[in-house]
Amino acid sequence: MSENAPGERGSAFGRMLAGVLGPLVFPLIAILFSFAIGAVIVLVTGNNPIAVYAALVEGAVGDPLALGRTLLYTTPLIFTGLAVAVAFRAGLFNIGGEGQLFLGAITAAWLGVSLGFLGPVAIPLVLAGSVLAGFLWGAIPGVLKAYFGAHEVITTIMLNYVGIYLAYYIAQHPLRQEGPIPGTEPIDYAARIPTIGAALGRANYGFFIAILAAVVVYLLLWRTRRGFELRAVGLSPGAANYAGMRLGLNTILALAIGGSLAGLGGGVEILGVYGNMDVPWVSNLGFNGIGVALLGRNHPVGVVLGALLFGALTSGAQEMEFATDVPLQLADVLVAVILLLVTATKLVELIVGKRARALAGARMDEGLGS
Amino acid sequence: MAEESAGSGVAGVAEAPVVLEMRGVTKRFGPVTANDDVSLVLHRGEIRGLLGENGAGKSTLMKILYGLYTPDEGEIFVDGERVEIRDPKDAVTRGIGMVHQHFTLIPPLTVAENIVLGAEPRGGALGISLNTEEAVRATEELSERYGLKVDPRDRVADLSVGVRQRVEILKALYRDVRILVLDEPTAVLTPQETEDLFAVLKELVADGLSIILITHKLGELIGVGDEITIIRDGRVVGTVNASRTNEGELARLMVGRDVLLRVEKEAYDPGKVRLSAENLTVRSGTDEVAVHGVSLEMRGGEILGIAGVDGNGQTELAEALAGTRHVESGRVYLDGEDVTRLGADARHERGLAYVPEDRATKGLVQDFALYENNTLKTYDERPFSRFGVIFPKVMRLRAAESLRAYDVRPPDPDARAGSLSGGNQQKAVLARELSSDPGVLIAAQPTRGVDVGAIEFIHRQLLEQRSEGKAILLISLELEEVRSLSDRIVVLYAGRIVGEVGPDATDEEIGLLMAGRTAEEKSA
Amino acid sequence: MEDLLGASASILQSTIRNATPLIFAALGGLFSERSGVVNIGLEGLMLISAFAGVVGAYFTGSALLGLLTAIGAGLLFALIHALMCITFEADQIISGTAINLLALGGTGFLMVTIFGSGGTSPRVNGFGSFAVPLLSDIPVIGAALFDQSVLVYLMYILVPVVYFAVFRTTFGLRLRATGEAPEAVDTAGVNVQRMRYYGVALSGLLAACGGVYLSMGLLTSFTENMTGGRGFIALAALIFGRWNPIGAAGAALLFGFAQAITFRASEQVIPVEFIQMFPFILTIVVLAGFGGRAIAPAAIGKPYRKE
Repeated sequence: MSENAPGERGSAFGRMLAGVLGPLVFPLIAILFSFAIGAVIVLVTGNNPIAVYAALVEGAVGDPLALGRTLLYTTPLIFTGLAVAVAFRAGLFNIGGEGQLFLGAITAAWLGVSLGFLGPVAIPLVLAGSVLAGFLWGAIPGVLKAYFGAHEVITTIMLNYVGIYLAYYIAQHPLRQEGPIPGTEPIDYAARIPTIGAALGRANYGFFIAILAAVVVYLLLWRTRRGFELRAVGLSPGAANYAGMRLGLNTILALAIGGSLAGLGGGVEILGVYGNMDVPWVSNLGFNGIGVALLGRNHPVGVVLGALLFGALTSGAQEMEFATDVPLQLADVLVAVILLLVTATKLVELIVGKRARALAGARMDEGLGS
Repeated sequence: MAEESAGSGVAGVAEAPVVLEMRGVTKRFGPVTANDDVSLVLHRGEIRGLLGENGAGKSTLMKILYGLYTPDEGEIFVDGERVEIRDPKDAVTRGIGMVHQHFTLIPPLTVAENIVLGAEPRGGALGISLNTEEAVRATEELSERYGLKVDPRDRVADLSVGVRQRVEILKALYRDVRILVLDEPTAVLTPQETEDLFAVLKELVADGLSIILITHKLGELIGVGDEITIIRDGRVVGTVNASRTNEGELARLMVGRDVLLRVEKEAYDPGKVRLSAENLTVRSGTDEVAVHGVSLEMRGGEILGIAGVDGNGQTELAEALAGTRHVESGRVYLDGEDVTRLGADARHERGLAYVPEDRATKGLVQDFALYENNTLKTYDERPFSRFGVIFPKVMRLRAAESLRAYDVRPPDPDARAGSLSGGNQQKAVLARELSSDPGVLIAAQPTRGVDVGAIEFIHRQLLEQRSEGKAILLISLELEEVRSLSDRIVVLYAGRIVGEVGPDATDEEIGLLMAGRTAEEKSA
Repeated sequence: MEDLLGASASILQSTIRNATPLIFAALGGLFSERSGVVNIGLEGLMLISAFAGVVGAYFTGSALLGLLTAIGAGLLFALIHALMCITFEADQIISGTAINLLALGGTGFLMVTIFGSGGTSPRVNGFGSFAVPLLSDIPVIGAALFDQSVLVYLMYILVPVVYFAVFRTTFGLRLRATGEAPEAVDTAGVNVQRMRYYGVALSGLLAACGGVYLSMGLLTSFTENMTGGRGFIALAALIFGRWNPIGAAGAALLFGFAQAITFRASEQVIPVEFIQMFPFILTIVVLAGFGGRAIAPAAIGKPYRKE
């Protein structure tokens, strides 16, 4: 994660240590506080926090089946987390992961049925379709910002709902299956992403597609010209423009690349987990991706770790509800509190002091143009 | 409003009662001591100059007085009484007002609303309504009393800089301040507006107020203030009588050694035209026409200086020439080639270097490492990149060389640009821009906010480029800098070139041009 | 003719019903955003209050006490947002998103804890319709406008009150100034942080009224995620109405009208999903500058840090 703060690197051992530990200060404090608040909530409901958290951990990683379930929940969060992180590196706030995911998913639901006769060959084609759908959907707020000056936070929020309703419309009208349940036809099993192995339950190879996506994002950002431009635009639009980089193009690309990652996530969910899109479909994967990205400091490695944490919480909560009296929504509360605290600059200063906070690098939302 | 006792004049300031005393004030920011045991005494009806370089600690001292900073040591007495000033509200309660360098006005609100904000006249049945009529009346009364002409109902967003400054002063007067601090008030004014301001200030002290005037311009205070206090490296190094000092003495005190106000340069031997503009019209970020039909030529071996008050189109002109701003109409030629439609990168490849006025937001990506900044314009060229892939190792090696060559400290390619001092940041920009051996250099305010050592280094570099036959455009708000380095000077006013003079033109001559009076008007 | 009038009256009535929660939340968002704090947590503020109102009414049997409970919950969540954004200088967008997720997860959690299962809560006493004498007898519009829940009448009063508070009082002047140029407000001796706390707290209070109208005005029980994006539509109304109370109310009425006609029009004409997209698309169009750009308060989204 040294690329996170190149300037903090140097010869001195202390600076090296700070470079490694610094970026973890914000996430660790957010996680610890969240679990402490969670413990209080559990106590209030008359349960023993230690037992509850033990059940949570057990349910997340206690056996291969639990682990498989964790991977299953982690996969889409890696995609939506990367969707936020890429845009963030270019100084843009992509709140639109939800809509982008839905567009990628409905595209996969459609192509999966149409191309299902191809068997496994259909998988890459369908996913390419999801990537394209997400790319185009993500490009809309990029164009609106680059050419019309519309702030991407609001446009991506608004486009979430437009995307969801558009997907629902397609699922319920052109693609509606026969039968009482509103939704699209199921995709042929031969054209779905296979599961990893019976021991891991429903976990599928989509997880490795997500890891691959993280690697690609890393290489894109730190080893290509485009990545150099995206980061320069993100950190200083003025300097990037001065250096002759095209701000509009980079804005559009950053959001479109983000969109294509979320779109791919939607496609992987359809081909790997659901097999079709029912109405209503999953919710909040896009919003939780924001938490994943921030927890992972908008670095691909961090995003994978953040997604694993959120995935584990969701997965473990199911066992926890079974083993204790605590409702599984405790996991949602924990995730929300982490997100609430993960950018709380002054809180971190209060706890670790100003100088240690400075070592943690710039504010995480710094460099976001408006 | 305040009931000033009539008849208190300017005469006998030293015998007038002391209204403010700062005693032994010390303020540290981490390892940096911004104010070191500073003491200052201000009398009633006095104009006190506070002179120092950028970063000498003048503004810090005044922010302490205004409650924006808390001092680590020291005491403040107002009218002989020891006071604690915790925030601006405390300061205003004690009768201390401040006009900041960057105005603190709210553009969408009216002049009257801005003036009364925080101390509004109330009305209505519930006593919670804003009494707009009363706010307008109070503004008009103050405006007339001190000759600060404003229209209370104007929206601040529509006002010129000079008028905004008047609103700022009225804001302080509305709060009955007795001590008024002005931080670099002339930076944004023309010489004529500056004179008007000083006339107003004399009215104010005649009315019994006391004024502290902060500046870093040497000549400005001579003949205006009563006494001038000079601050260097956070300490008071001297207080002189404003009417009996001279620029040489002030410069020596301010910088700590004799300063060569004139630089030595080789004979003027202009070559062929390298960069030229023809009838250039450019719009600003707010879409107003900022440059109106400007034509100019820069030859090899010369420094063309552009003088003018800030905000008269200098930035837009530089950006249009460098290719970072869209040209509305007109042409730009680089070595004879029409480059009007070419972007900044294409012009850079053709040998145009550009040191932008704002290194913090344009010249450098603060959170990039120096090696990344060093290749900010060449990252897409060999040997730094091939087939869309970049090679950070090669970038580091090249950066290490040029950082050493331009004496950037630390010369560490991995150091974050933002962690360097202003002077070293500017050297890092120069290192990048000059290492490609450009034929043309546009330097916009290259010495703004850097220390004297870096200023001398940068001036030497510019003159060296001139000796090598390069064409240099120097844009500066410091008239002295433009005069000492340039071979020719054009003056920009309201986006137009209003005249061209030689480097020996008098201050008055250039000053009138800066105020927009063209040569014809003068003779008329 | 009679039928047309009847249909118009019924569309007007349902327009008001659809618009009321949006107007409450948009007015709340207005206070927050005018003070310089983005509030995309309106959805969460409405949701937690809709739930708290039902809980309060369930345990006390009183709708009024339910409303007070809801306002308490709305204030609490708004103050969490304020604490994060203003005191801890957290990112306002992130904090707002977290408030939404917290309300969604929290209500889900509490539904199980308090009522034993998720889904829908038991029924409680709500704020039913109350016909205003005389006014409700006006032909056509009388019943539509004045045979509504008490909360609707509260909304009628609040729109002009908010307008007056924002544009005619010293509080409003300071609030608007804080959202435009906090450093100017600070140097004028007004406490920026306090103004922002007021703004965000008021957003919680007003969004709570909107939430209660959903669970206790339109219905008499709470259903999980019953806000269904209304907080975001309210945000859209606020932007579409250019951060002006009258404008926001007008936009909310327009969105409410669009919803109202879909329930009447047969689905073949315009699919319901497209009507649901309408507020969001309209807001994007306005943000892109078509038909006059919507310009947000200048200092919105930025934490104010004293030097």
